[in-house]
Amino acid sequence: MTAISRRATPWWRSKAALAGYVFILPYVIFFLAFRIVPAVMGTLLSLADYSLAGDIQFVGTENFSRLFGDAVFWNALWVTAYYTILTIPLSMVVALGMALLCDRTLRGMSFYRAIFFLPVVTSTVMSGVIWVWIFRNDGPLNWLLDSVGLPTANWLQNEALVMPALAVVSAWKDFGYNMLILLAGMLAIPGEYYEAASVDGAGWRHRFFHITLPLLRPALFVVLILEIIKSFQVFDTIYVMTGGGPVRASYSLTYMIYDQGFGYFDFGYASAAGVILLIITLITSLVQRRIMKRGRIE
Amino acid sequence: MSRGRALWMHLPLGICALATFFPFWAMVAISVQPNRSIEMPGFLVPSRPSLDAFKDALGSGQVFGWALNSTIYAVVSVVLVLLFASMAGYAFAKKRFIGREFIFWLFVAMLMVPGHLTLIPLFIMVSDMGGLDTMWGLIIPTIANAQAMFLMRQFIQEIPDELIEAARIDGAGEFRLYWSIILPQTKPILATIGTFVFLWHWNDFLWPLVSQRTPSNFVLTVGLNSLQDQETELATTMAAAVITFLPTMLVFLALQRFFVRGVMMSGLK
Repeated sequence: MTAISRRATPWWRSKAALAGYVFILPYVIFFLAFRIVPAVMGTLLSLADYSLAGDIQFVGTENFSRLFGDAVFWNALWVTAYYTILTIPLSMVVALGMALLCDRTLRGMSFYRAIFFLPVVTSTVMSGVIWVWIFRNDGPLNWLLDSVGLPTANWLQNEALVMPALAVVSAWKDFGYNMLILLAGMLAIPGEYYEAASVDGAGWRHRFFHITLPLLRPALFVVLILEIIKSFQVFDTIYVMTGGGPVRASYSLTYMIYDQGFGYFDFGYASAAGVILLIITLITSLVQRRIMKRGRIE
Repeated sequence: MSRGRALWMHLPLGICALATFFPFWAMVAISVQPNRSIEMPGFLVPSRPSLDAFKDALGSGQVFGWALNSTIYAVVSVVLVLLFASMAGYAFAKKRFIGREFIFWLFVAMLMVPGHLTLIPLFIMVSDMGGLDTMWGLIIPTIANAQAMFLMRQFIQEIPDELIEAARIDGAGEFRLYWSIILPQTKPILATIGTFVFLWHWNDFLWPLVSQRTPSNFVLTVGLNSLQDQETELATTMAAAVITFLPTMLVFLALQRFFVRGVMMSGLK
């Protein structure tokens, strides 16, 4: 009976299947054209020499060997790694601290949380414009340092200080988002754990290190992965605030892709750098999967 | 917890809130500064605020045009993203067809491909289509949104099949089923995704930067950045920054609960 009815309506004539295809069609067309095709094209471009005039020539792995011999590329990789190393501990500590501070019922708490969330919804360009002014030579940060007798600096023009300055901006912009993820994780911790600990006479330090922190690991892991991916792909802030400078001290991998592509119109070379970024992203995702599968983090 | 101790918490919270809010306050304070020089720290409380900088920013018509472009970009994108994502999400959740799982997971896997790799091919493609420096060329590459489709599918999976079957028995056609049975059920998730998509597009920078070349076609983020490069008064730049910021703040305050829900979902995936 089932066999007959299945034969009577083969899948391609079944109304539900047909409707399924019709419903995904608009999405599929746009996804194919503007996500999948460009991803394939970008990977192929990395093996080609392509100029604005439109001449395309297959050059094999030449772009990659050029990349590996290019000090600008290694610098860009280092800047990206350095930015990640600076940003992640800072962002995570700030987010965790703020989540602990906000994890309580208090009159006016929703007001505080709204303020803490405001930087998240602002554009990177707008926050970049303000922070450029904050870091200016005659800006408020130097004014504050000067008035308490500390040395001042030209933050964004100083090769050693520009990356820490950018990390601070990133922490300011993202902590509200990460804090919310951590708060969701804290809400999921059963209150009995804390009650039992209080009965046993455990202080806040014990409660934090033996209950909150271990049980918050899944949420912390999510924040960590989000921050890593965000750090690898940082672009807007750098473009707006430093333009990769001074002397390429903030010239990240994404900035290099943009610069090679739209500064020099060396599309093949820029795509090769893009493929490196893709590989780094894929490795991060695989490691994340691995760790989650192993069950150390649910 | 004793009442006294609870009140104490306002001190660290207040300090953190002030520090977080300082850049916004400074932005507004500079934008209403009547004179060109900025006195530290007196500028933070302008004695005679003036709206000259806003007149400068909006008077030339340039910033107003950018704001209009940003609005069209964000609003049209929200409508199209929600329409396409909800249709596809519905099919992936409730229809059975060959290749369903494969296509779905292929789309989700594409989330791992960084936008910087696809930027140059997109630029070449849209350029070949004659879409550079046009509104449609700005919008079309952004409307097949994988996150939105994924969230729609997750949400629609929870809608009981009986509801759909009942409507089908009542004689509802495939489109009626989607439009008057499924869509009304998805209002909360539509609001959440809509809020996010609006903010993504309003704040989007890189794609508008490379695809819009003529200043009159800029969106606000690109325009605001260009004001930094030019010989523009700081107050005027900050006025443009305020104009860029206001809609995002209003959208956030109005739709805060949807936004919070969206972030929490990203943490629980």
